[in-house]
Amino acid sequence: MPNEAGGLRETLAQRGVSRRDFLKFCSAMTAVLALPPRYMPRVVEALETATRPPLLWLEYQDCAGNTESLLRASKPTVAELILDVLSLDYHETVMAPAGHQAEKSLMDTVEAYKGQYLVVVEGSIPTKDGGIYCTIGGHTALDLVQEIGGNAAAIITVGTCAAYGGIPAAAPNPTDAVGVRDVVKGVPIINLPGCPMNVQNLTAVIVHYLTFGAWPATDQLGRPLFAYGSRIHDDCERRAHFDAGQFVEEWGDEGHRKGWCLYKMGCKGPETFHNCPIVRWNDGTSWPVGAGHGCVGCSEPAFWDTMSPFYRRLPSVPGFGVEATADKVGLGIVAGVAGAFALHGVASAVRAKARPLNKTKVEVEEE
Amino acid sequence: MAKIAIDPVTRIEGHLRIEAQVDGGQVTDAWSSATMWRGIETILQGRDPRDAWYFTQRI
Ligand code: SF4
Repeated sequence: MPNEAGGLRETLAQRGVSRRDFLKFCSAMTAVLALPPRYMPRVVEALETATRPPLLWLEYQDCAGNTESLLRASKPTVAELILDVLSLDYHETVMAPAGHQAEKSLMDTVEAYKGQYLVVVEGSIPTKDGGIYCTIGGHTALDLVQEIGGNAAAIITVGTCAAYGGIPAAAPNPTDAVGVRDVVKGVPIINLPGCPMNVQNLTAVIVHYLTFGAWPATDQLGRPLFAYGSRIHDDCERRAHFDAGQFVEEWGDEGHRKGWCLYKMGCKGPETFHNCPIVRWNDGTSWPVGAGHGCVGCSEPAFWDTMSPFYRRLPSVPGFGVEATADKVGLGIVAGVAGAFALHGVASAVRAKARPLNKTKVEVEEE
Repeated sequence: MAKIAIDPVTRIEGHLRIEAQVDGGQVTDAWSSATMWRGIETILQGRDPRDAWYFTQRI
């Protein structure tokens, strides 16, 4: 059964994961969490000794994209962390039992570990017509998430659907789908939106919890600041081209081949908060903008409606005044207007000061 | 005559319920239900056709 004492040390050794790889993993996690390097020993110690909170992974109106994101974590240490430090007691897509047996193992954990287990929710919850648009074992998703989620130590939503309703809630929202925080109250809820969420961020949230016994600081949308504290646009590798007024005008044109800015092709990076440019995907090798497609804003609530059509350019770019278009901003800077340059410098400095990473650091230090 | 139901069916992508009528060790009738509906066809109506791939990928 879950919740035995004992962390990763022995499990990893048994499975042939070297101490060196484990330390590398801890160092990577410390970096994702934007903690100063001196916190690494604490992360190592916590992961080696943590008791195992049972984890229930619940799927409702979903496409299993977040499950894919989890299972594609190639580093063995990441999978070990989720499956061994945590005790994954229920996950429909990966578990062996089905039917009554599956439901039994779920309810056993809920009863035995009331208030101690963690819940991950993937997918939105339909509320129309008594919730009949998603049922499991004859119960509605609405009843299940309220009972199972309502008795958890905390809920982590993975993906924009579980966080804010996502694609099922896109206009005209045929099933009155909502996110978890609309229907479960009184339990800490950490939102990891994205379509899908990045498993690095899920792992980092869990590492933070195991290390400090607390959840990371979040913004008003419930998103951890370490992962959603800065704009895609501010960390983007194509940003120099934006500032220089070098834009892709057509798919496959010279600018596209040279890796210029995708703003005119509809990139929503200027309005989207996520750490994609830094953490990246596929083992850190690439990410959508890096691969040549604009950001669609998938970590923002209601992005299916507010950020579409996805290939229409944003009417204005925040930070440069509402009237400033890409052309004006680009030309202004290309022309070398000292004032514009100074302004941009100031704006960056203010943004740098406001960077929430520092906030996380301060809160940790105050412990 | 007995009727059995398996719900949830695990290790698949999506939600599925199977019911079967068992008669003397033989399955004589069976029903399957997909127990989740989002209405993506409805959501797609009236949108920019260039966005369709991004929506339908999520099915
Ligand atoms: S508009 Fe998009 S591609 Fe251009 S710099 Fe901003 S985030 Fe990068």
